[in-house]
Amino acid sequence: MLEARLQTGALLKKVLEAIKELITDANFDCSDNGIALQAMDNSHVALVALLLRHDGFEPYRCDRSLALGVNLVSLSKVLRCAGNDDIITLKADDTADVLSLTFENTDNDRISEYELKLMDIDSEHLGIPDTTYEAVVQMSSAEFARICKDLQVLSDSVQIDVTKEGVKFGAKGELGSGAVTLKQNGNVDKEEEATLIELQQNVSLNFSLKYLVNFTKATPLASRVSLSMSSEVPLLVEYKMEAGYIRYYLAPKIGEDN
Amino acid sequence: MSQEAHTAKKRRIHASQLEPQPSFLEDLEQLQETNQATKVDDPSLLWERPTCDRLNAATDVLVFQQIEADEYMDAASHTPVVRFYGITEAGNSVICHVTGFLPYFYVPAPVGFKLENIPAFKTALEAAVEKGNSIVKIEWKLKESIYGYHGGDKIPFLKITLKDPRNIAAAKRAMERGISFAGFNDCTAQTYESNLAYLLRFMIDCHIKGANWIELPAGSYQNRNDSSSNAQINVQVNYEKIISHQPEGDWSKIAPLRILSFDIECAGRKGIFPEAKIDPVIQIASMVTVQGESKPFIRNVMVLNTCSHIVGTHTMSFDQEEKLLASWSDFVRKVDPDVVIGYNTANFDFPYLLDRAKHLGVLKFPFLGRLNDIRTEIKDTKFSSKAYGNRESKSINMEGRLQLDMLQVMQRDYKLRSYTLNSVCAEFLGEQKEDVHHSIITELQNGNEETRRRLAIYCLKDAYLPQRLMDKLMCLINYIEMARVTGVPFNYLLARGQQIKVVSQLFRKALEKDFVIPAVSSQGGEEQYEGATVIEPRRGYYDVPIATLDFASLYPSIMMAHNLCYTTLLTPGVIQKFNLVKDVDYVVTPNNDSFLMEKKRKGLLPIILTDLLDARKRAKSDLKKETDPFKRAVLDGRQLALKISANSVYGFTGATVGKLPCLQISSSVTAYGRVMIERTKQEVEATFTVENGYTHTAEVIYGDTDSVMVKFGVKTLEEAMELGRKAAELVTTKFEKPIKLEFEKVYFPYLLINKKRYAGLYWTRPDKYDKMDTKGIETVRRDNCRLVQSVIDTCLRKILIDRDVTGAQEYTKQIIADLLQNKVDMAQLVITKQLSKTDYANKQAHVELAERMKQRDAGSAPALGDRVAYVIIKGGKGTAAYDKSEDPLWVLENNIPIDTRYYLDNQLSKPLLRIFEPILGEKAESLLAGDHTRTIQVSTPSVGGLMKFAVRTATCLGCKTPLKKGESAVCANCKERAPELYQKQQNIVNGLEVRFSRLWTQCQRCQGSLHQEVLCTSKDCPIFYMRKKVQKEIQDSTATLDRFNNPLFIKNFNPSHADLKYHYIAHTSCDIMEERAAMKAQDMYLGVLFSMEDLSVYGYMTNTKIKFITVLTVPDVIIKDTDMKNIFRRIHAAYVNHASNPFYEIDSEKMIKSKKFEQEIEAIGRGRALEGGNRNSLPATAP
Repeated sequence: MLEARLQTGALLKKVLEAIKELITDANFDCSDNGIALQAMDNSHVALVALLLRHDGFEPYRCDRSLALGVNLVSLSKVLRCAGNDDIITLKADDTADVLSLTFENTDNDRISEYELKLMDIDSEHLGIPDTTYEAVVQMSSAEFARICKDLQVLSDSVQIDVTKEGVKFGAKGELGSGAVTLKQNGNVDKEEEATLIELQQNVSLNFSLKYLVNFTKATPLASRVSLSMSSEVPLLVEYKMEAGYIRYYLAPKIGEDN
Repeated sequence: MSQEAHTAKKRRIHASQLEPQPSFLEDLEQLQETNQATKVDDPSLLWERPTCDRLNAATDVLVFQQIEADEYMDAASHTPVVRFYGITEAGNSVICHVTGFLPYFYVPAPVGFKLENIPAFKTALEAAVEKGNSIVKIEWKLKESIYGYHGGDKIPFLKITLKDPRNIAAAKRAMERGISFAGFNDCTAQTYESNLAYLLRFMIDCHIKGANWIELPAGSYQNRNDSSSNAQINVQVNYEKIISHQPEGDWSKIAPLRILSFDIECAGRKGIFPEAKIDPVIQIASMVTVQGESKPFIRNVMVLNTCSHIVGTHTMSFDQEEKLLASWSDFVRKVDPDVVIGYNTANFDFPYLLDRAKHLGVLKFPFLGRLNDIRTEIKDTKFSSKAYGNRESKSINMEGRLQLDMLQVMQRDYKLRSYTLNSVCAEFLGEQKEDVHHSIITELQNGNEETRRRLAIYCLKDAYLPQRLMDKLMCLINYIEMARVTGVPFNYLLARGQQIKVVSQLFRKALEKDFVIPAVSSQGGEEQYEGATVIEPRRGYYDVPIATLDFASLYPSIMMAHNLCYTTLLTPGVIQKFNLVKDVDYVVTPNNDSFLMEKKRKGLLPIILTDLLDARKRAKSDLKKETDPFKRAVLDGRQLALKISANSVYGFTGATVGKLPCLQISSSVTAYGRVMIERTKQEVEATFTVENGYTHTAEVIYGDTDSVMVKFGVKTLEEAMELGRKAAELVTTKFEKPIKLEFEKVYFPYLLINKKRYAGLYWTRPDKYDKMDTKGIETVRRDNCRLVQSVIDTCLRKILIDRDVTGAQEYTKQIIADLLQNKVDMAQLVITKQLSKTDYANKQAHVELAERMKQRDAGSAPALGDRVAYVIIKGGKGTAAYDKSEDPLWVLENNIPIDTRYYLDNQLSKPLLRIFEPILGEKAESLLAGDHTRTIQVSTPSVGGLMKFAVRTATCLGCKTPLKKGESAVCANCKERAPELYQKQQNIVNGLEVRFSRLWTQCQRCQGSLHQEVLCTSKDCPIFYMRKKVQKEIQDSTATLDRFNNPLFIKNFNPSHADLKYHYIAHTSCDIMEERAAMKAQDMYLGVLFSMEDLSVYGYMTNTKIKFITVLTVPDVIIKDTDMKNIFRRIHAAYVNHASNPFYEIDSEKMIKSKKFEQEIEAIGRGRALEGGNRNSLPATAP
């Protein structure tokens, strides 16, 4: 039996917006830890790891581990029926083939109930092992989103260079080239906008902008984003939420082809 | 409307039921037995033709069947000579040089031209041609142009006869440019009959048809004593002396042609398609058959290096490739075949042999024709035709020998999914052959004489199959008959398109009737005219008999009935000039063109058509009487050729890029057709009504081109057939003769989906249906995957034959569920498309894939003209479909997930909805969504951007939640279910093993040996994909099974065995150990558990139920139990040492990775190895 009550329903809506571009069907792995999702996109270039920790729900109850197979398109359709301020409750029986969702609006005492048919998804559970990265950049998530969007105009791939002075995003394409450099700054006044770099070694890596732009769909979830990089290792883009995180891994572009 | 519509009605010959096949070796053995009579010590004595005495030109008559002809310029007289190659009835080869025939063409005499102007005209023209003394003579002839009616009067033409055929084009251009002479300034004229090849001109004028019999009376010819050819009879004759026998009656026989079928093998390098400059030719297999005999009388194989004897086959070994090639060319010259066949010989075997011989410097190799001084060479040709599509190919000249590349024949005459020899044989002979990938061939060649023998058998089979295909499909006979009917030389049939056949007939008839044909320069006008009509279908599912009425040979009969021809075409001017009266002298077609009535003049085309159809009637009635199977084959080939020829006449008049297009004819034909269909509908619906005393009012529910479907409303087949016959008779009376409406069949039930799309059960007799007939439904189309075909076919069967709509729905749902769970066989999902050109405007899946495959491995990548096989794989969102195509083998090997959604949405859904919507209406959509679509499987590929970084987290086999540390098969919640799940997994593995064994045996049967490993990698064979997939699944599911009883440590001391093998052994052992341990609880050592093949397995179980297994190859010396015990004790000690390490979690189910432990085991193993044993120890934990 799973029962999870989320005070701000908008969170779930945002989470879904952040992953549904990459993944169509996936298992939500529910355990006493919380609700997790880990899946690769169809082309096996990116991986999404999502965790909503149990303390983010009030109350949270999960008697035994469950894997809920969900078609994300269908789920996001159902969630469109929920208001941003609604309290969302997720419920599923241990042997359930449906996920029930309850949306409560405290202002006008409106309660709506939906049931979503579940899928039986047989797939392998894939993950990227934790490693120590040569460079970790922490920056404003909005800034990151803007950079990706701007550079996409020029090219479909971006080169990220990290030195101890700062981080440079560069793109070259048919119509020209462009680069955005952010200097390392401990701007105390605006902590939100500071760019912090932890560096073992300078790195210079190439990534597909198409995917990065997709990742930035998670921007509403967190004001900060961290990019962790090492050469010849997937890039980790992490958005930390109050109780949980959403992590994206992206394979580096090797040479000019993908 | 193109010619294709008519030629597309191709005959389908299907292999009868698949019978158990004897192996090819048995075939060879039988061939040996049947040929006992001709058994000789040296098989090469059989090679030569029967001997022939020198002819006495004064007293002997020479009769032969000519099979090929070419022309050359005689060096002495500077005149063209035609050379016929042929065979006498006794099987002797003939070359006949025909002299004296000069090329000519016509121009209309300019206005005011007089007979005495001829010399001046001749001089002027000669000057314009600029080739010296090129014109022989110019004659004044009265002729009539074929194009249009001019009151039947002949007008003066100038017949210009030249010396050299090559100057005709120059003369033609000169006339079109205009020449000036004696008072005529810049006199231009359209030329007539100037675009006819010299050879065809000659054959037409001498009434010689393709492959007919020719007689040279005694005294008419001279023997030639030159050494230019190796023919047994070499004569010269003047063209006027030739007697050409029309191929009828006794002269329809076929000479005993020698047919050589061959195949070569070359030793390529890994991953690269053989290149003639580098890779040697290692084997050439040849089979020679005499036309009319059922078995080849020469069977041999030439092998580089030694080769074991093969029954019934002359095996020749060579130590040098040069010798092999030289011997084969000697062999060809000795055997002197009239027809050379093979599979893809024109584009592969011959070019390869010639290039290779050139590279190796085998000088006498490239003389494979009948002429001693003409070198066989490769030329690139491009063939393009509206009906056959564009093809690039190579042409090889072999004077006097016909070439019939069976691949090209197949591509021309049959529409197949795949044209590999394997799939063609499966289709027509009901046999699979093993398909050995070219990289394996080298390994077999480099093996020993036995492996080379194996390759030789494979090669022999490939040489024999084209012959069998040709016999089964009777290609040679049908082509010969086509050449005879249309009058073109044999090799035109393969090398040229449809038009030349009509041209040949038209010129022949024009010559007979004294017409001349203008040389129209073909302009590629994109003029379109209206095609056939289609009566708007009343869609639906009809559970009552639907009668079908067809017009027999609609277009030819329209042309005959209304006298449509070039010679009867009228212009308004002509009508006025001759005061012709409408409907008395001429008719106006529904297309508003006017044609003269038959009583004024019968058109040329109607005469040709009448002749063709009468000849067909004769052939058909002869066929009924004939009992001799060989003669029957000839007659059947003839009637088919006649039918095709009659139908192609209409297309010829409509071909805008043609020799003589006349859109007035073709558009009038279709206009008549449209009117007739409408008229038929009106007549039927007006006559068969309740008012007229019938029980129901008839309704025409559909009609297309030449047929109408009528619902008479009656319930039984008998009534429908009766009414159908009546209606056909009634309507026939309303039209001009010879138009005839025939009642052919009844569809019951009938599913009418749309225009040109329907399905029904086909009845010609009321007691038993003939077949299930479908049109335009995905069962016949080739551009989708087999799955669609089989699903639609099964559904239609269930609906139409079993009348079980619910069953069809259930079946469909099951298939969709299987598809989404990846249970559908890969072979079912393969789509093939022909790569016909590389510069498509839009990107296409197969083109893109071919490009990618080229980058991966240029050798095996598909070339232009090949069919590309691909499956659609999953891609990121927004990836275009053309980027998602992938090579099926690559997908299989790398476990790449297939885009099952694509198959459901883009392939299955539309065809399924089409057939279910007329029956279920709105509910049909429910087939595509619902509970059965909610179980899916996503496979994990071994390639892809992130895959090399990702690690798999095991999930519980019971509930799919990710497992925690220390759990290997099931999670804590599912612990109780572990035995059940284990059993389930075990059953899966067992099932797969049985399946794999069956498939393996099937392949072994196909290759004809149960003792050898299967090498075949045929991409067309469904078994191959199944075998590969099961192999993969066994590995995966065994790995899953491992998780219940996972090994802690495996050490393999024998590099020749796969580690995986020990996983199997460990599993088997665990069960036995549990049993043993229960019996003798005292001892930890359990002795020999079991032995298999060359291995014996020993077991040992500790008190904590940690199990050790040691596998030994069966040793030369007996191993004492005490020794084994000792070994186990040492292993146990090593394990205890390891387990005592405080950092080791005893409960962990992970593999032991300690270096120290590994070293210790290594030491134990090596110690034993000194004593001569091989060992592998496998400690495993119990769950």
